Amino acid sequence: MDSITTAASVVAAGLAVGLGAIGPGIGQGSAAQGAVEGIARQPEAEGKIRGTLLLSFAFMESLTIYGLVVALVLLFANPFAG
Amino acid sequence: MASETVDSCSSHDPLLDIDSSDSSSGVKSDEYLELQFRVFRLAFLLTIFSVGIAGFFWGIHVSASLLIGALSGIFYFRLLARGVGRLGTSSKIVGKVQLLVPVLLVLVSSRFPQLDLIPALLGFLLYKPALIIQFLSMP
Repeated sequence: MDSITTAASVVAAGLAVGLGAIGPGIGQGSAAQGAVEGIARQPEAEGKIRGTLLLSFAFMESLTIYGLVVALVLLFANPFAG
Repeated sequence: MASETVDSCSSHDPLLDIDSSDSSSGVKSDEYLELQFRVFRLAFLLTIFSVGIAGFFWGIHVSASLLIGALSGIFYFRLLARGVGRLGTSSKIVGKVQLLVPVLLVLVSSRFPQLDLIPALLGFLLYKPALIIQFLSMP
């Protein structure tokens, strides 16, 4: 792998993880805030709120995982490496 | 007078009734555990189905990679569920330890030539159809 491809892959990996984590991070924060407020207001619905929160977290965090996987593939199994 | 007030509060206020609070908390956690169990059961069924299909069409090599990825995905979901279960009680944030699972999966599958990267990643994402089915079947 030549040096330009290596440098571009490292920069792209950083961008993929960094930019890909912004949106899910904000979303997870606001979802957790809403869930904790909901549990505090309505403790009898804790099971349902936690279940919905778990499913929402799993969906949101998969976006982070997509970026992470792209970054790891660029770093450790680069398809552009000659 | 004061003792009557205390007695009436302790007998009628559900927040001060420790026994009823404990039993309802058990019901809540049971509901949450039941949801996790349903997702795990669906994910295991999808894993068995897709590993069988992959083994039939592409051989045992791809099938083993898919199986390892699927088990990693289930383990990731278990860690996420544990983090969400702790939220608000013993922890104020959801941990990010579960994100180490796909990292380790990619590292292991790129280091070992017996494993393929793409089937392992597709297997890791097998928990998502289980989640979607569970989400659609929720009342």
